[in-house]
Amino acid sequence: MKFGLFYELSTPRPFTTENQRAVIENAIEQTVLADELGFSSVWCVEHHFLEEYSHSSCPDMFLTAIARETRNIRVGFGIGTCVPAMHSPIRWAEKAAFLDLLSNGRVEFGTGRSSTWNELGGFNANVDDTKRTWDEYCRVIPKMWTEERFSHEGTYFSMPERCILPKPMQDPHPPMWVAVTAPGTEFDAADRGMGALILSISEVERNIPRIQEYRERVKRCEPVGAFVNDQVAIANWMYCHPDHELATRRGTELVATFSYMAGQTVEISEAYPANNYAALGLLGSLRPDPNAPGDAKKPVSSGLCFGNPAHLIDTVSRWEAAGADHLLFMIQAREHLPQADVLDSLRLFASEVMPHFSGQRTQVAVNA
Amino acid sequence: MSATPELLYGSRPAASVRLLDREIEAEGGAPVVIENAELLYILHETPMRTTIPSLPASLHPSVPAVLGITFVKAPQSPWGPFIAAWVGIACRTGIKPRHFITAAFCNNAVAADFLASRYGFNCQAADVGYRETFDRVRGVVEVDGRLVLDAAIIESLPLVGIGATIKYSPALNGMRLGSGPALVQFEAAYDFKRVLRGRPRLAHYDSTALGEASVIPTTPIAGSHAVCDLHLLPARFQVDLAVPAEAGGAGKIAR
Repeated sequence: MKFGLFYELSTPRPFTTENQRAVIENAIEQTVLADELGFSSVWCVEHHFLEEYSHSSCPDMFLTAIARETRNIRVGFGIGTCVPAMHSPIRWAEKAAFLDLLSNGRVEFGTGRSSTWNELGGFNANVDDTKRTWDEYCRVIPKMWTEERFSHEGTYFSMPERCILPKPMQDPHPPMWVAVTAPGTEFDAADRGMGALILSISEVERNIPRIQEYRERVKRCEPVGAFVNDQVAIANWMYCHPDHELATRRGTELVATFSYMAGQTVEISEAYPANNYAALGLLGSLRPDPNAPGDAKKPVSSGLCFGNPAHLIDTVSRWEAAGADHLLFMIQAREHLPQADVLDSLRLFASEVMPHFSGQRTQVAVNA
Repeated sequence: MSATPELLYGSRPAASVRLLDREIEAEGGAPVVIENAELLYILHETPMRTTIPSLPASLHPSVPAVLGITFVKAPQSPWGPFIAAWVGIACRTGIKPRHFITAAFCNNAVAADFLASRYGFNCQAADVGYRETFDRVRGVVEVDGRLVLDAAIIESLPLVGIGATIKYSPALNGMRLGSGPALVQFEAAYDFKRVLRGRPRLAHYDSTALGEASVIPTTPIAGSHAVCDLHLLPARFQVDLAVPAEAGGAGKIAR
């Protein structure tokens, strides 16, 4: 089991320079500490127009700042959006390779397609095509990294022969991942030989069937890249404190804050009926059961890492037994917790929980 | 989590929300199934600047702000055929998407009475039209011979397979309950038989007649036309009109 951090860069109103800078600077400070403490990776989302929820519109820039302030921690795009209205696949190949050089070969490249009207509508993107454009991007980007010169005549993207530069430092290229929120996307990851980056705030046990199915399917994959990345990462929440009740209470507050912010977004499934967004995404896992009495918030899932060290050792062990290779932690929401407490939580987790699990640093298995 | 001033809430005084002043249906009533009901559902964006003052403080806006138009055509019902229409602003109680209704219409007084007593819809008597033709599905509302709403979807495509469903955000209607002023939630289930998605085309929108003069539809999002068996279920939930969503939220209707 390896551990990482996962950033949305959620920012409290009002959106003053002070507030905005504090979120970024605090996240960098947390990551620098995490690097020193032996955390394996840091990931940063790409979101647009998501007020408070995520101000992380430029993950490549955040990760570049991180890369230059740290030595070992891997830097992950969590994810780069594979939608033509937002990015050309050329730009993703270039940015990831450039960061790979700047970070001394520490890039993880996550892919996805967005699930909100805020973003897809804001960019006037073709909602119906996002799954297909994502698929095409996943297939061309590794070729841009590995082929000296590349040309492509595709459905959603075409280009004449060019040398796409720079080439990444990792040989043959950075590991590729898929963000998984809607059930079933893990199979898309497996079929393409890509790692599954699963956002899960549910019980550990609910994830076991999907992880097992991923494991089976990835054995028979047709990899889009030059190697198979068969890792499963769970994006989760963590707050560690000696006082278990306090940790649980604060964790509950973090999830409630996150849920409130996420809940204000307009999911595609709410606004734009489409076959490629039929399954509920993130909000489906956040929203209470409509048949539940009242509007009571969901109880905090036992799969979330809130508690004292002994409790977290047990929780992480359950995730490990379920087949997860990585736990990626969200540790803040809209600066709800004081920075000093967040740093103390990381220190306590590193000193009391991490030693119980081996392999803290990611060693990427490359089958060149 | 306690509410903080930084959160986005509606700013409309609760006292300014129009409340339907009548008894809510005792025990919620029995489910009513309307076979082969047709639903036209159209969403547009609307400026946030005018939306927040239109929502009561117990509700969060959606971001971006969204305006929803719904037409329901019942070819048969216990009250005879009817067509109803309502307009609402997308909102959140906690994290649940709902629509705060600003205006409702019905062309059948008995059906309107049912919608009022069960769900708090304050329907104006109106000529409400709903028609599917070769190139569009169109809903029209005329009040006293004056056109107030003319909405359609065009360039429609059928949705099949797992996508052949529409996730309607339930309506919230202002109503005076025994427990005080409240927003009562429309409660329905849908067995879909045919679903089309199309591009909204709004020919006429009289915002004053539709309840909120300052809430104007802007960027079209999407529209749909569905044929389904519509299950009108007993109302179950209400939202306290005066308590911020994070502190109150929806609760079961006390009967």
